[in-house]
Amino acid sequence: MTDAIKTEPFVLNIGPQHPSTHGVFRIKVTVDGEKVLDAEMVMGYLHRSMEKLAEERTYTQNIPFTDRTDYLSSMANNLGYCLAVEKLAGIGVPARGDAIRVIMAELQRLASHCMAVGAFTNDTGAWQTPVMWAFREREKILDIFEMTCGARLTCNYMRIGGVAFDLPAAFEPAVRKLLRELVPFIDEMEGLLVGNEIFLARTRGVGVLTPEQATNASLSGPLLRGSGIAWDLRKADPYCGYEQYDFDIPIGYQGDSFDRFIVRIEEMRQSIKIIKQALDGLPGGPHSTQVPLALRPPQGEAYARVEGSRGELGYYLVSDDGPSPYRFHIRAPSFINLSALKEMTVGGTVADAIVVLGSIDVVVGEIDR
Amino acid sequence: MPTREWTGEEVAAAAERLVPGSVARTTAGACYLKAEKLVEAIEALRSSPDTDFVHLTNLCGVDYWDHFEVVYHLQSFVRNQICCLKIEVWDREKAVAPSVVPVFHGAWMQECEAYDLLGIRFEGHPNLHRIFLWEGYPGWPLRKDFLSMPGGLQPGLNEFAGTARRPEPATRLVQ
Repeated sequence: MTDAIKTEPFVLNIGPQHPSTHGVFRIKVTVDGEKVLDAEMVMGYLHRSMEKLAEERTYTQNIPFTDRTDYLSSMANNLGYCLAVEKLAGIGVPARGDAIRVIMAELQRLASHCMAVGAFTNDTGAWQTPVMWAFREREKILDIFEMTCGARLTCNYMRIGGVAFDLPAAFEPAVRKLLRELVPFIDEMEGLLVGNEIFLARTRGVGVLTPEQATNASLSGPLLRGSGIAWDLRKADPYCGYEQYDFDIPIGYQGDSFDRFIVRIEEMRQSIKIIKQALDGLPGGPHSTQVPLALRPPQGEAYARVEGSRGELGYYLVSDDGPSPYRFHIRAPSFINLSALKEMTVGGTVADAIVVLGSIDVVVGEIDR
Repeated sequence: MPTREWTGEEVAAAAERLVPGSVARTTAGACYLKAEKLVEAIEALRSSPDTDFVHLTNLCGVDYWDHFEVVYHLQSFVRNQICCLKIEVWDREKAVAPSVVPVFHGAWMQECEAYDLLGIRFEGHPNLHRIFLWEGYPGWPLRKDFLSMPGGLQPGLNEFAGTARRPEPATRLVQ
């Protein structure tokens, strides 16, 4: 009987104003009934031409721009850019500056993964409760950022050669209190979702990527690790003294949406471990080196990368011996991670496409730049 | 153990061994390949076990006024190494580079981005289109001479590319 029902493919727009696209991002899916036949991404709604703007401003003036690319992990963006300029100009960072950077980058990863996990559960249909829990915990981290640098979202805290100012006296007790509260939260969140049959049914086996596909599509971060490749730049190419800290790289085995979720949960635990070690061994001394305000790095080019919350966040800078970068290119992980979206969605249902997009954890500010 | 960055000479030696005649010149940090041999050389560097550059990390274009460079960063997970390859594109009017999408699927979006912002046409790309800006946007914004291009954006806040040169309404034809 079902063979007699005649269906024909039609185009459905998901977004740009749709809660599951996490910003202004559009997927044009061609569907036959519930089945996705083709998926085309439409982006650029938030394009602000950061790379062109940066060519007109000095190296220091560009730091606030990097906040606004990936607005959910501004500390990591600051860090990646500052590392690239330091590599280009050959500037060293004092030990205290490095440790503060590590603490901030890991706090930012916690905040970002809270958001990623919360929004992902929202996409799977666990409406509002887990995302509000995650927001509650993220709020505490943002309070710590506000205490340190005055801003919650666009921190603008890192500087070339260190950080903008030293930590306040109340910082360490506040972070230790936060970490104590986060450990049971992560356990609770994991227990709530991993034990939930609906959540498992929505995520297990959805959007499967083999390690070969993930590598060939240039993926990075939790997507790559979810597919079973233990590649983390903090281990593979340590920066800011990450080699001193003891932590593990969580990986998944199936490469599905659930594995990406569980990798993020486990990464939050590892981040807590790193912050504790960094706080215990926080060295004294200056937090920054003196860098001329009108910095003119020598002619040349540099590619520096950090392990951001969403993957490999790289900055490719070309200097022509002038006060502003000749070329400023951001290797945005959200943007490049999307290149596997079509492979993951085609053949599934429309509802699964939403879950897959949630599991990639895109930030549109970073896709469009 | 930090990632080992291959020098230009090392990459050139490997590329020359795998695909003879593919290297144009080298600098300290990068190896310039001949555009016509690029896809072959990248495929060889990817599949050969002693280079093993399986991951295209970064792809971008740079405008040097008289020519473009397309920069490729490739890395290997197992051997923990990274290298930098480049090609030069000299024709500004018809800037064409070979597409590496047949080798690396991850180049798809990045080549679209380079085409959109710099106007480098990647030949062999399955669906090359303007990814951020709209079709028909005048000029290529990341080119250094963007402001002086025909139809390009004029300095000032009250003009917007594509809408600035609206023709005058055809009124007062009858005196």
